[in-house]
Amino acid sequence: MTAPAANDGRVRVEGLVKRFWDEGRGEIRAVDGIDFECVPGEVFGLLGANGAGKTTTLRVLATTLQPSAGRATVNGHDVVRSPESVRRSIGFHSASTALYPRLTAKETLEFFARVNGYPADRVPGRVDELLDRFDIRPYADARIDTLSSGMKQKVSLARTVAHDPPVLIFDEPSVGLDVVNALELRRIVAELRDAGKTILFSTHVMPEAEKVCDRIAIMHGGHILSVGTLEQHRSRTGLHYLEDIFLADLTGADVAAP
Amino acid sequence: MNHVFWRDVRVLWGREVRGALRERSVVVNSILLPVVLYPLLLWIEISALGFVAGLAERSSARVAVLGDASARSEIVEVLEGTPGDGAPENDAGPIEIVDTPTTLDEALTRLAAGDLDAIVTLEEPAAGGDALENNARVVVRYDRSVDRSRRALERIERVMDGARADRLALEAERLALPPGAAEPLRVTRRNVSTDEALGTTLLGLMIPLFLVIAVALGCLVPAVDTTAGERERGTWETLMTTRASRGSIVTAKYLYVASFGATAGVLNVAAMSISLGPILAPLQGMGDGGPALVVSLAPTAIVVMALGAVLLALFFAAAMMPLAAFARTFKDGQALVTPVFYLALVPLVLGQQTDRTLTPAIAMIPVANIAMAVRDAIHGVFIWPLLGVTAAVSVALILVFITFSRWILGFEDFLMGSYSGRPWRFVRDKLGSAR
Repeated sequence: MTAPAANDGRVRVEGLVKRFWDEGRGEIRAVDGIDFECVPGEVFGLLGANGAGKTTTLRVLATTLQPSAGRATVNGHDVVRSPESVRRSIGFHSASTALYPRLTAKETLEFFARVNGYPADRVPGRVDELLDRFDIRPYADARIDTLSSGMKQKVSLARTVAHDPPVLIFDEPSVGLDVVNALELRRIVAELRDAGKTILFSTHVMPEAEKVCDRIAIMHGGHILSVGTLEQHRSRTGLHYLEDIFLADLTGADVAAP
Repeated sequence: MNHVFWRDVRVLWGREVRGALRERSVVVNSILLPVVLYPLLLWIEISALGFVAGLAERSSARVAVLGDASARSEIVEVLEGTPGDGAPENDAGPIEIVDTPTTLDEALTRLAAGDLDAIVTLEEPAAGGDALENNARVVVRYDRSVDRSRRALERIERVMDGARADRLALEAERLALPPGAAEPLRVTRRNVSTDEALGTTLLGLMIPLFLVIAVALGCLVPAVDTTAGERERGTWETLMTTRASRGSIVTAKYLYVASFGATAGVLNVAAMSISLGPILAPLQGMGDGGPALVVSLAPTAIVVMALGAVLLALFFAAAMMPLAAFARTFKDGQALVTPVFYLALVPLVLGQQTDRTLTPAIAMIPVANIAMAVRDAIHGVFIWPLLGVTAAVSVALILVFITFSRWILGFEDFLMGSYSGRPWRFVRDKLGSAR
């Protein structure tokens, strides 16, 4: 792997391995030697069933987990050597990352902008911009614990981009969302992609991956079975629907497994 | 990775405080309870004690008098304070002479059953050196395990002492002896302590105790809220994916917990200092007139007390936070941290010995050293070298705890809450795997 240029906006993963030790099950290779690269202006999807290794991969990229082997860089920063630079470069959003219930929507945006190092004198302007962009202004001064889940979702997305990071990581962001809010989420992700952000998007919902992602990596058992655009997957397998492609890849992987 | 960036610490601390001040349970448990409820509870307890003591003082001691008719009559007259032939006025407290049991055994049975408080018998002088001519022996039987019975004994003794003094005075008069001959020595009590000294002693007993309790409680809920509570709410991972360094996060959380503890401690001391007079008012008039409380503290004492509160807060925050951080729920966190609170109360027994001041040995005992330093300060005693040792010991332990907190944050299973064991097992596992 060549040395990445600093602040290149790319996510590069090479030979990434993440092992866990469990007293009952012994060593677990949650991620087992994966490679991929995601570039600015692209939504790169990680598609897989539960336990495929998607969340573990994204947590390594968010520096909350350390790789057991291999290497990963985010925006040119190594996840092991420069974790704070990596975190400065990312916005991390997942179904499990909640908001502070006692802050208002506006305070939440201010807090995440400041704590992620957004220039202090520009924070009020940035918050104003986000309130309008995500249509949060009507409930900007309401406490988070009084908002509906759709409103919280918008605030959560806004706080993810509050410091205007070049790389965005979405880990199963549509879990628990109704149809309207899921559509809104897709619209926002598309907007962010168009704004030149590098976006990693994990999901196990096939239609969502089809509609949101520019390229899709199909994961299973800690491995990436295949990577490509939807069209590339279709031409590779001769199948039309991603669900069928996914099942075909899994069947092949299981047959190939010893 | 563990560098501390003070700009981030300020932002994180501000978020913690703002959130906590909006959470009723944190404000109530950390600030309102120590400042309002504990002085109030103390006042209620002392008022209740005064009420119960008053009732006890007014209740009659039930006494049976055994013996032949003439002797019995004479003792009954004395005990009842019946004005008669030289019988004294009874001011020891009401004594009720009950129906005379037929035998001593019957009386003892009634005493054991609680129907009697004491039995008085007039007996022959003891044989040997104690025997004197025309001397009689009054034997009082009572049950030491029963308050009411002990009180009956005290009243009987006071009445008997008074009767003896009167008898001696009459005898001296009959023999035309000077008045002093009947009572060559008279003991009179004179309390030389000032009202201020008395107030200071009471303040010195109570303030350190309440300071430790208030600070520990002030730290407890925030410590759990900012760690286990954050995990439970799902905001822990959100925070860990921000740019802030682990060092900045630990420092901000630590300062948040300590600032709540210190605030609770300082407010509690202020509240107690102001309200101690009214709180102890029910004690006034009890016993020897009760304490007349006058409290004044030197400015240096106030400074030492404030510094003591801050040191205690820094200590408790450092000790409680890493423990609570192992829990995944608020409830588990409370269960892990509560023993620290009770452990902290153990050394406080040293503070109950009012004739002690801070010693080199006590200065080495955490919590107790600060409590003792505060008590000394209230008494106007400042042993500066030992105050320095106290501060050094506290700071050293605080640094150990903070280092531990930062160390455990370096392990991802702790960070992600996937570690399922207890803190001591975690330490053993990690130290074991490091070898």
